[in-house]
Amino acid sequence: MHKQNKFTVSHAPFWHDGDSIGETNLNIMVAALPAIIFGVIQFGMIALGVICLAISSAMAWEALFQFISKKSINIGDYNAAVIGMLTGMMLPATAPWWVVIIGTLVAVVLGQQVFGGIGANPFNPAVIGIAVLSLSWKNYFDFDAALLSYQFDFTALAPLGALDHQGASAATLFSNSSLLMGNQVGAIGSVFGLGLILGGIYLIIRGYIRWEICVSYIAGIVITALLFQMSNPEAYAGPMFHLFTGYTLLAVFFLAPESSSSPVNFIPMIIYGIMGGVMTILIRNIGAYADGTIYAILIINLINPVIDMIRPKALGKGVNNA
Amino acid sequence: MIKRSFIGLTTPRLKCDLVEPGPREPEMIPMPPRLILLLDEALDSTKERCIRRGDTAKKGERLFLYKESTRYVTAPTSGTITSIASFTGDFGKNATYLVLEKDGKDEPTEDISAFADVPDLASADGALRSLPGAPPLELLASPDSTIKKIVISGMDSDLMSTTRQYLAAKCMDDIRDGIEILKNMTGITDIHMAIPENLAQLSAFQGMNTIKLSGEYIATLPQMIMKKHLGIEPVAGSTCEAQGVCFMSIEAVLSMARSYKDKTPVFDKIVSVIGKDGVTRRVKAFIGTPIHRILSQLGLETQEMDRIIIGGPLKGFSAYTLYHPVQPDMDTIILQDREEIPGVSDYPCINCGKCVRICPAGVPVNLLVRYLEAGLYQEAVDNFDLDACIDCGLCSYVCTAKMPIFQYIRLGKHEQLMLEAEMETEAENA
Repeated sequence: MHKQNKFTVSHAPFWHDGDSIGETNLNIMVAALPAIIFGVIQFGMIALGVICLAISSAMAWEALFQFISKKSINIGDYNAAVIGMLTGMMLPATAPWWVVIIGTLVAVVLGQQVFGGIGANPFNPAVIGIAVLSLSWKNYFDFDAALLSYQFDFTALAPLGALDHQGASAATLFSNSSLLMGNQVGAIGSVFGLGLILGGIYLIIRGYIRWEICVSYIAGIVITALLFQMSNPEAYAGPMFHLFTGYTLLAVFFLAPESSSSPVNFIPMIIYGIMGGVMTILIRNIGAYADGTIYAILIINLINPVIDMIRPKALGKGVNNA
Repeated sequence: MIKRSFIGLTTPRLKCDLVEPGPREPEMIPMPPRLILLLDEALDSTKERCIRRGDTAKKGERLFLYKESTRYVTAPTSGTITSIASFTGDFGKNATYLVLEKDGKDEPTEDISAFADVPDLASADGALRSLPGAPPLELLASPDSTIKKIVISGMDSDLMSTTRQYLAAKCMDDIRDGIEILKNMTGITDIHMAIPENLAQLSAFQGMNTIKLSGEYIATLPQMIMKKHLGIEPVAGSTCEAQGVCFMSIEAVLSMARSYKDKTPVFDKIVSVIGKDGVTRRVKAFIGTPIHRILSQLGLETQEMDRIIIGGPLKGFSAYTLYHPVQPDMDTIILQDREEIPGVSDYPCINCGKCVRICPAGVPVNLLVRYLEAGLYQEAVDNFDLDACIDCGLCSYVCTAKMPIFQYIRLGKHEQLMLEAEMETEAENA
């Protein structure tokens, strides 16, 4: 017998479609680029600083936590980078460095790592980060005050803040097209609606997010806002205003479809999305917060495991024993 | 390897390879001096062995390992048993290798034509189980068999393989004879022929019960054929056989027809060999031929750390030695370069849902895999439909986290079976 080669022996299947976590996350980052670039143009290099600090600190927190908890360090999969990027996108350009760092600490460690890391987080980590920040340092999320030093050539009012204070008449200050093109005061990554939509459509076409969630989220917003507007046009703004302001589009395409905190079956995805839209508008129109998106996301994340129990019967489970 | 397409909005559709028009005759591999026969029974030193080293066997002789054995292999030629060794398969399942050194006389055994005069099931089961294509005679001959329908599969069971399609295209007359024999033997008249819908020789199958399959991988799975074409809803946790449908390879029917015609069992098996270049070559090799004989005749080389896939890329298994023999049910050998081997990771499920969308059986794979990882097999069966899985392997193929899901599933099913068997013995003892 001649000398034998040693062969790789493993279990079927021997093929893989080539997808990976790293590639998925890179695509999400690419999809977010238009909105981020616009934010940097609008708010200056300081916005780029916030985004970069958010991404790098998030990765550092993840590496540190994994080192302390004696797990293998996996920052190369860009998971923390995406969390950091989304946290940064929800901050105003003038957010101080320590707010950014605390935000990513809460997002990465409290939002994900303590639950067991990637795939185990019950809530969207970036949303947890922003929720804690906006409760703890409310002033930095008053975009009118945060961006006071800027000179804009459009209505320099945060649309949702204005809506909260002045009622539906505030909505007339903004045209839908200018809101869509980013002519509004807001967080770095949330002002450029068109960019977010393009990024979202890219992710949907590539199959990295689930279209059912995005579409039903939008439907939830539009239907609820329309009903409110029909009931009292004086007090409530229309659906398009809600869709293009605040964190709405960011939530639709980047926050709500986060894979581990959202459902995977068809009917649950629809319920999840619609609930998100409905809760967003309810908090905005009735609740105390000007922008309810963050809390709406947390609420739908919370119901996700329960509604995801609604699933089709598996093959051969629907029949009586033949 | 079929990669994810740029547009990922819909679930990927994997197409089986189709046999080329006007296929070439397969290359004949001469019978090697030593044949390796794999006997599906573990070596057990407490039992009295029937065969020992140095025993001689004649062509067509059945070799039983122990006196009480019911499993056997048939010697493809006459010769001497020079070695008996143990073979370990998946999940520690043991089998036995017999090395048969041929004496060149090709002397047939005396009782070889006993089965040949009247095709009846019992005598066929007694002699023809290890024909090329592995006819499920044991199942059909079993006294408590409930088989009512037979589906002869002219479509290969995995991607890339075209062995069965080649035979469907080439050997029409023998197939008709084989079906006749099968009908007479079993008394089952409800015999269907599953063939690809765009097979060039489709008209030749006129007058038969044909099931036309699109080239889609999912449509070729037995449970899917049952559901879609036979109108039988598969029952979770049950097999097709338990529901009265027996699937058999077209090669099994052909070799039965040829054996009855020649009045001697046949041992040459058609195998598709796919090299690292992706080109399919077809060979005719004797059962028991070690793979390296085939590869060296075709000029195919292997390197350290390559993978030798037997069966197919989604459902096959990998061999650890080039001495692995050609077996009755081995349709395909694929060589995979070490650079092409996709790795697995120890990531947890990230809940992306791709497996749930692609699963033809509607299993909640994202939840199931968490229970399997934790070893909670009973919960996996009770709540997460482990028993509904039809072993297609697609969940692992699409897994973004590169988890070995299919391996977890097979292990889970195996452990569950062991557990049930254990509980039964306990109940009996009590």
